[in-house]
Order: sequence, then C-alpha cells, then structure tokens
Amino acid sequence: MKNIFVLAEHRQQKLRDTTWDAIAAGRDLAGKLGADLTALLLGSNIDPLAEQVAKECSKVLAVDDPKLEQFNSDAFIKVLVALLKDRGPYVLLMGSSNSIIDLASGLSASLDAAYAPDCLGFEVQDGKLMALRQMYSYKVNALVSFQNADSVVATLRSGAFSFTPAGRAAGAIEKVPSPIASESLRKRFLKFVEAEKGDVDIASADIIVSLGRGIGDEPDMEMFQALADAMGGVLACSRPIVDKGLLPKYHQVGTSGVEVKPKVYMALGISGAFQHLGGIKGNPLLIAVNKDAKAPIFRVAQYGIVGNLLDVVPALQEKIKELKG
Amino acid sequence: MTLLEPANVALAGIPAPAIAFVILVSAVGFFVYVMYRRIDLLRKTLPDSRLSDIPQRIKLMLLYGFGQARQPRYPLAGILHILLFAGFMILSLRSLTLIGRGFFADFHLPFLTGSVGLAYEVLKDYTVLIVLAVCIVAIIRRAIFKPARYQHPEGSSHGAEAYVILGLVAGLMVTDMIFDGSALLGQTARHSVAAFPAANLSAVFMSGAGASTLNMLHVGGYWAHILIFFGLLNYLPISKHFHVITAIPNVFLANLNKGAIKPVQCGVSDWMELPECGLSRFERFTWKHVLDFYSCADCGRCSDNCPATTVGRALSPRMISVKSRDYAYKHYPVFGAPPNPGEEEFTGGVIKEEEIWACTTCGACEQECPIFIEYIDKIVDMRRYLVEQGRMPSSLQKPMQQIKKKGNAYAGAKNKRADWTKELQDCEVRILGQGESADLLFFVDSCGSFDPRIQEISRAFARILNRAGADFGILGPDETDSGNEIRRLGEEGLFEQVAQKNIEALQARQYKEIVAFDPHALNAMRNDYPVKFPVVHASELLARFVRDGKISLHDKYLHGRLVTYHDPCYLGRHNGIYNDPRYVLKQIPGIHFQDMERSFTRSFCCSGGGLLLWYENEEEKERMGERRVRMAEEIGAQVIVTACPFCLINLEDAVKTTGNEGKIEIIDLVELIDRCTGDGKDV
Amino acid sequence: MDIIVCIKWVPDTSEADVVVDKEGRDIKKDDLDYDINDWDRFAIEEAVQIKEKVGGKVTLVSVAPEDAEEMLREGLARGADEAYQLWDDSFEGSDGYAIASILAAFIKARPFNVVLTGTQADDDCAGQLGGMLAAMLGVPGATLVHKISIQDGKAEIIRELEGGLSENLEMDLPAVISVATGLNEPRFVSIRAVRKVAGMEIPVVDREGVGVEESKVGSRGSRTRIEKVFLPPEGEGAEIIQGSAEEAATRLAEILKEKGGIA
Repeated sequence: MKNIFVLAEHRQQKLRDTTWDAIAAGRDLAGKLGADLTALLLGSNIDPLAEQVAKECSKVLAVDDPKLEQFNSDAFIKVLVALLKDRGPYVLLMGSSNSIIDLASGLSASLDAAYAPDCLGFEVQDGKLMALRQMYSYKVNALVSFQNADSVVATLRSGAFSFTPAGRAAGAIEKVPSPIASESLRKRFLKFVEAEKGDVDIASADIIVSLGRGIGDEPDMEMFQALADAMGGVLACSRPIVDKGLLPKYHQVGTSGVEVKPKVYMALGISGAFQHLGGIKGNPLLIAVNKDAKAPIFRVAQYGIVGNLLDVVPALQEKIKELKG
Repeated sequence: MTLLEPANVALAGIPAPAIAFVILVSAVGFFVYVMYRRIDLLRKTLPDSRLSDIPQRIKLMLLYGFGQARQPRYPLAGILHILLFAGFMILSLRSLTLIGRGFFADFHLPFLTGSVGLAYEVLKDYTVLIVLAVCIVAIIRRAIFKPARYQHPEGSSHGAEAYVILGLVAGLMVTDMIFDGSALLGQTARHSVAAFPAANLSAVFMSGAGASTLNMLHVGGYWAHILIFFGLLNYLPISKHFHVITAIPNVFLANLNKGAIKPVQCGVSDWMELPECGLSRFERFTWKHVLDFYSCADCGRCSDNCPATTVGRALSPRMISVKSRDYAYKHYPVFGAPPNPGEEEFTGGVIKEEEIWACTTCGACEQECPIFIEYIDKIVDMRRYLVEQGRMPSSLQKPMQQIKKKGNAYAGAKNKRADWTKELQDCEVRILGQGESADLLFFVDSCGSFDPRIQEISRAFARILNRAGADFGILGPDETDSGNEIRRLGEEGLFEQVAQKNIEALQARQYKEIVAFDPHALNAMRNDYPVKFPVVHASELLARFVRDGKISLHDKYLHGRLVTYHDPCYLGRHNGIYNDPRYVLKQIPGIHFQDMERSFTRSFCCSGGGLLLWYENEEEKERMGERRVRMAEEIGAQVIVTACPFCLINLEDAVKTTGNEGKIEIIDLVELIDRCTGDGKDV
Repeated sequence: MDIIVCIKWVPDTSEADVVVDKEGRDIKKDDLDYDINDWDRFAIEEAVQIKEKVGGKVTLVSVAPEDAEEMLREGLARGADEAYQLWDDSFEGSDGYAIASILAAFIKARPFNVVLTGTQADDDCAGQLGGMLAAMLGVPGATLVHKISIQDGKAEIIRELEGGLSENLEMDLPAVISVATGLNEPRFVSIRAVRKVAGMEIPVVDREGVGVEESKVGSRGSRTRIEKVFLPPEGEGAEIIQGSAEEAATRLAEILKEKGGIA
C-alpha cells in the first residue's frame, strides 16, 4: 500500500468528528505501512473546510461541486471512483456515521476494493494488513485479512482512534475538477427532516441518556434533557419513569419496552434489573451513575460514578459544553 | 250490587271471548315469530356441545337459575331481583288465570280451586304488592341514585329499556289491583285486609265510586292488564329483557369446563384444515355464545369486577355482550332486510382490537355473572382470528417468537433450563431422564427456570421438598413452556406444539404426582392438555406436608407483621383452590392474618401471568398491581402473600411504584414457608 | 411492481454464550438457534405492505443452506408470493462480497423494481449488502431507511442521520433500499399461517442455476478472510471514577469525548 486516503465528512458546512477519527487512524496506519496520508474533501464551497483539514493533514484533494453539498452516495461514489482510479493500491478510511454507512460498501464494490466496516484497529503482520472488527451481536472480536483486491475501504468505530491535533503547518490543498459536473443524479436530496421533540426514536439513537427510579420522586427533567442535548443524545428510561408519567411509553428501554442499540448508554439512577438490561443490545459503552454503590448496574457498566445525580449531572453537562467549545 | 265480569261484557258489540281470542292468537303468534327469528340465528352459528353431565346441569339450574344463588353478591340489587323473580313465578299462574277469564267469567286453573285456590289468591295478593314496591324502589334507584355500574361507557345506552320494563311490570300490578279492588267493592262479602292487602289498598282509592264506574274500572283494568301482559311478553325478545325467557336455559347450558379454553371448533378433529380459524365473523360465535348475548341483562356486574375496566383499559365485558346483541339484532332483524354485513367488520371493528387484547382472562366477569355468561372463550376466539391475521400486539410478538424458537419466552437456551439448581446448597435436584421415576415430578415451567426472581421460588420449593424428605425430580432440558397464555392469546397451533412436547416428556417418566408452583402451569396441565395428568399446586402439597407433620413451621420470619393473602386468578377462580394456602398460612405460629375485602372469588387480578408479563397496554391509567397493593394498604397489611410467581412480580413492581417499598413485603407462599421452616442460613 | 427481498439466516447470538471453535476462526454454532436476521423481517413486511398498496409481486431470496427453508416459508406466510433458496456446496465460506455477487447474479436475471434488504445482519455486523448490491446491479441504493413511498417510478424515502435528524431523498427506480428496524410493525406469523403455505414450492437454486462463476463464490470469491476470532477481555465491573462530583464529572466528560459519547 503506498497511499492512505481519509475522507472528510461534513454536514451543513461543518466538519464532523468522523473526519478526525479517520485522520487519527490514517496517521496510525500510514506509520505502520510507511505510506502517504491524503485527505479527500468533497463538497460545495469547501474552501474553509479544506483549510481546517489541511491543518491536520499534509495533503488534501478537494472537489468542489454543488452536487456534493450533501453526502449523497450516488454523487460521492461517482466522484471518488474517478478520483481514486489511478491512485491504487490504497487504503481508504472513513469514520462511522449514518451518511458514511450509506456510501461505504457500495463505494468499495465500485472501486473493486475489499471492505472492512466499523474497525476497532489495524495490524500489519509481514506486510499484510489486518483489521480488527466485531461480529455476532458485537460479542466477538475478529481479525480480518484481505484478498482478491488491491485496495481496501474501511470504516472506523467512533472513539476507537484517539485524535490529537498535530498543530503542523497547513498542508497542500489540491483542487480537482468535478467529474460529475454534467451528470444527473439518480438519487436526489430533498430536505432535512428534524425529528420533533416528542417524536424521538430511541431504537435508532446512538447516544442514550437513560433514567431510572433513582432519579427521585420529583426529578428535574430539564436538567436531564440538557445533558442529553449536550451529548447529542436522547432521553430514555426504565419502566417506573413511564409509570410515573415522566416520559412517554416509547422512551422505555427493556424487554417489555423498546430494544435499543446505541453506541453509548448513560444509565442515571438505574439499578440494572434484567428486564431493563435485556433491552440494551449491541455492546455500547455503558456508564452508570447511581448513589447506591451496590446497584447491579455497576457490574455490567464500564465506568461508574457513585454519587448524587443532582451534583454530577449539571457538572457533567458543563464539562461537556466546555469540551465541545 | 254485582259487577259484570269482563267475559260477559261485549265491547263495541263484539263478544269478549272473541276479543280475547284475537288478542291471544295475535300476541302468541307475534311472540312465536320473534322467537323463531331469534332461534333461527342460533341455527346459523357454530355448533357447541352443551348437553354433557345433565345431573350437574340440573343442579346448576336449580341453584343458580331458580335459586338465584349469585344474586346476593350484590345485596340490594340481588334481593330486589330475587323478589321480582319470585313474584314472576307466582304471578305467571295468575296471568294464565286472567287470560282464561276473557273466555269464561269464572275460569280457574284446574289445580287452583277450593282452599288451595284461596290460599293462592292470598299469596298472589301479597306478591302483587311486593312486586309493585320493588318496581318503585328499582325505578327510584335507577333514576335518583344512579349506580355507577349501569352507566354505559360508550353512548349506546339501553337504560330506557329498564324504565319501560319496570313501568310495564308496575302497570301489570296496578291493573291487577284495580281489577281485584273493584271486585272487592262490588261484592257484598268483604275480604279482610290481612288476607288481601293489595285489593283492599286499591279499593281505598275507588271507594265511593258508583256502580257503572266500578264496572268500567273492573272491565277496563282487566283488558289493560291483558294488553300489558302480552305487550311485555313481546317486548322481552326484542329488548335486553330477553333474559326473562333465556336466563334459566342459559344457566342449564353453562360451560362446565372451568379453567379450560374451548376447542377452535366443536366437533372438528383437525382444525388446522378448516378454511377459517377463530371468530372472523359474528356468525362464527357458537349458538351458546349468541344465547349469552340474548341473555345479558346489562346489569354491569361483570364490568364492575373486571380489572381491565377498573384501570381504564378499553375492555368492558358487558359491552362485549351489549354490542354483540346490538349487532345481532341489527343484522338479523325480526322484520325487514338486514344491512349489508360487509360494511361492518365485527372482530376488530364492532369489538375493537384494544378490547380484545386488554383481557387478562382472570375470570372475574364469569364468576360474577348471575346467569353464567361466558367471556374468556369469546375473547380467545377473537384473538385466534387476529393472530391468524398477524394482528398481535408487538409487545407480545417477541416472547411468542421466543417460545416458538426456544420453548420459553425468556430466550433461554434449552440446555440451561435446569441451571437454576446450581446455586442451591446442600440440596440436590434430580433431573429425571427418560424412563426414570420419582414420587413427585416438580414442573418448574419457563418462569421458574429462567426468570432470576422466580428462580428463587424454584430454589425455595426445592429446599422445602428436601426438608420434607420428598423423592422428587424435574424434567430439566426436556421441559417446555406450559403454554397456558399461548393458548389464551389465541396461538392455538403453538399451544398444541408445546403441550405435545410436555405430554411426551411427562409420559416418558414415572411418578405419582406432578407439582407446580405456578397456577398457570397447573391450569394448563389440569384443564387444557388433551391428556390428563395427576397435577397439584404447591400450596396443596404444602398443606399436606403441614398436616402430615412433614414440615414444622416457626415464627422467626414474620415477627407479628399483618399478613394478607392475594388469591391468584388461576389458582382460585379457575381451579377453586382457596383454602389450602390459607390453611398453610394459619399454621404459622403467631401469624396475624387478615383477608382483603376483595378475596376468594372476588380477588382482583394483578394484570396477568405468563406472556402477559410482556404485554404493554397504552390506555390504562393505573397498573392493576398498584390497585391491588392499595387494597392491601387499606387494611394495613405489611406482608402480601401470593401463590403465583407472576402475581409476585407484578405486585413487587407495584409496591415500588406506589411508594410502599420497605413498607409492604410481597412474598410467594413457597418462599414464606421456606423461610418459616429453614434455619435461615440458605436464604 | 416487482419487489425482491434479500433475507439472511443467522445464528441468534444476542442472548447466547458465545464460544470460539477449535480452529479459532469462527464461533461454535452447533448449539445456537438460527433465525431470520431481525432487520430482514422489517424488509419483508415493508415489501408486503408496498404490494398491498400498489400491487405486484414479492419474491424472497436467501443464500442459505437447507435448514433455512423454514425462514423462507415463514416469509411466504407473511405474504410473499415466491421464495428461492440459493445454495450450492461451492457457496460455503462466502463473505459478504461473495454473497452480494451471488444475489446480484440471481437478481439481474429477472425483472425487478425494488430490492429490499435489512441494513445490517446480526452475524457479521457489517451493513454491507445493500450498498454492494446497488453497485453490482448499477442502480442507486440507500440504507437505514425508515420510510418509503413508491410513486411514478420513483421512491421517496426518509433515512436516519444522527441526533434526531433525518434526510428526505428521492430515488429513481429500480433501486436497492435497505431498511432500518422499526419502519413498520412486522405481522405475527402463527403456526397455522405457516401451515397454510406448506404446499408452496421453494426452489433450491444451485450455482449454475444462479448463473454465477465459480471464481466469484465461496472463499475463492471472497475479499475478506477471518484469520482469528476471540472474545474481548471481560471487564471486572465498572471502573468507578473517584473524586468529588466536579472531578468525577470532568473525568467522565473526557472519557465520553474520547469514546465517541458526544455527538
């Protein structure tokens, strides 16, 4: 592999964190393989974004076309195929997001490359690239090698690669003319649809802040909503919260409620009854805050805070706001 | 002065017997035609086998039909009804006599002559007065006190019918009194007030009237009475008061298979081959079920006791009867053409899906109905149809799928079914292989095998069996879900599969008795399985242990707390086991025990067992278990003992949500006895 | 409207204890129950609902060994019109790419307007089939779709993004649409409903019948190879973050940031 490419993701003219995931993994892999790292940026009016990316990556290939304003897989695949045609063999890395899921596997087939989704890490053994990913309801780790293809497309588990700003001088930005300027698309973006507040679908949420009986008899629901908003997640709960009428039924996680498959599950005041835990699928990062140090939830959580929610939650929300800048 | 008798007074030149004849023939003719139409619908519905065990049926009819034995469950309404019913029985002879008097002035029924006749006249006179009083009290009660259970939840009230009928009955009494009172005044020999209070009372109002007025009242009262009588007779089969005619046959034809669910279709060997399954159309009710609809008096006792109605679910059992009867009368009218049936979907339309799924099959409605109207079988038949259509609430689909795949709703692996025994100390639980034997076979069921909370009951029971020196074993991996709720939720095919697996496993082993602590398992095996097994409930076995001195109880656990007992529906109402658990409790030294107001046959369902644990209801304002815990709170209970693992789970939840955590303990009888027999070390 | 639904037969590992097999390249599957991939039930239901609305035919197809017949039969009971089981000994060991190649070859040989799949399968957790099929069939594709309306040869869809945001798109047909769970309520399939379709034939189509080259299938046609599987090290319960509420919150915020807990 002589080239590592990373795709910068953006939405509504802002770079998304997946971009930094990809750059972090790209740096790591470029080091292991002794390859060059190049960022790909496709969008419309992208100069400001290109400059941001160039701060962290020595080379940026940028395609500017109004058709690329949204992450439209039809347009992106066509452009990326044209862009990467003569640049193989390479590894193309992308973060994990719902826009990238829409794009990545089709792109790999169009590029005639092998595909490794949702990778947790990479190994190089005897010059052979291998990806670490998860299978079987995310319960098993698998080391995967590649064959029958020169190049590899991989997406990355968010949070698996930690990014530190390099603070280097600006990289070179090379503008490439759009290869689809005159083509019509078979898939067209119409509009964004903002879910109404009362219309939250916890089943598909990646980040969940879940409330249990331990939040007290007269809880400050706005405080919890503010935390969920800061994290970019949604509020969910266990059965007693629904029974008390604090949240509607479709927010209830559990075997008798909604099954959720988040990436992060923050359990506040939840004791951890099996009926509740049974509704949490996949293998999320589980964080528990509870004043009862013996609550069973601490047995299954990765991180825990034993303490009063009234103290922890507002502090946490403040810190998150600070970190987001 | 001698009054003219009606038979001798020509009206508008027509001789009275001719008028009587015309009235008799047209009224009876009309009545026969209406009855023919009503019975004709019964012939268009599905078969039902209701003539088994005739002696038992006669007993039921005498006790609950003529004896009205369920009426006093509501004391005031019950006594009023018993009086009315007795009055009807007595006055029917009087009515026959009066009909005869239209033809012959001195007509008497052959056996009511002489002194017997006089005695009857006296009895009749008292009865008239009592019935009139009852009518007045009943009208006042309905109009002024308005008992809540008569309210209709959804508009289509038949309340006016009650006034019509009470008015007609009162009219019958008044006209009879006028007829007799005028005769009394017209005769020289006066009967004593003590013997004929009604006639004397009406005479007071007519005293002083001239001969012609008295004559008019006498003859007019007579004909008014005859017209009201035939009017009433013909009003019955077109109103909710059809029960006057159908109630006694309905009791005679009652369902004798308590606890069981009806087969998909009576007299069909392979229901899977039928083109339709369940209640897809109204006409797929059995004839007995339609007779139930005819018979419902809309008294509201079913719904008054229904836990689903109580907590605000969409179901009200009596509305099932009322709406079905309305549908029947509309689509099978006495006169005229019926509307196109295609326009109205019955299952899912007239009876809404929310109603159909809201039922916990607790049986409170059937227990309460004075005339044995059935609801569970009808609801299950409607569910069978919905299930075939794929219309099952999503909360129930997941556990149902799990049973299909794994034989239990907990997604537990088959080979882990006996894993609950691993945490037992000093207590061995034998897994019986095929061909092996033990005295007792402990049927654990899925809940006892996989639900971590219920596993504790399994272990407690194993410890007790061990202490009592019982030789017992379990089926282990060969056990499958008992299937009680699978059947009641309408998935008959899956029920048959799980039942068959258990039957095969049970037949491959030798034992004297099967014991289960889950009443649902008990019920399925005792009442639903096509092969009958000797199965007892844990409470029955515990009572035996205590009686035989196999275990002795100590007072080190309860510490004088006030204990109450919650009757599980499938133990009490469906299987009649009320006393064994109480007997065991009362043997605990120093126990302080009190029943809740709603206990025994009136126990209040905690929202259902088995798969119903997964069921989510959108409409309810309160959980049934919470309501139940409040009832215990009312008597100051500190411990609620139950004998069903699902009651335990529901009530434990409710204790938390009603803020009674730490104040009220919920415990299964098996667990309690474990704690009152052991040294406490292994709890 | 010709709708083809691709479904997958997967071991149910969500509740089971998973054990690595002797060779160490896969898990032990003998004790596991197999079932339809949960996401695919929604795809079948959506196909049947589209058919009920606009008419047409629903065809189910799965690359799966013999015992998967019950899954296809259950799909017929859900309202599909025909079902095909694609199997050949040479298909053994196919990765996602090879399976997509087999399905693409099968689909290309027949008329279709919409191909529906679940977005992801619970066994390989890859979410790759829909996109690969679209590329191989040369039609547009979309994933994580939670609303579909078909009109005038076009599909208008809504697909989920993050944080409560969705996007509304229009696609030319034919297209491959991969659905999200929860876009409909799959109907219940009773034992009797399955019995009713017991007489329908479910053809097993071999490699030649599918019309796919031998070099495209099995491990030979795969682009990935599992070298090793292992269970992730089990945590000893939660790492309790010590300190005052302020300190603990600071540390937790950092962990969240690091692990993707802040969107």
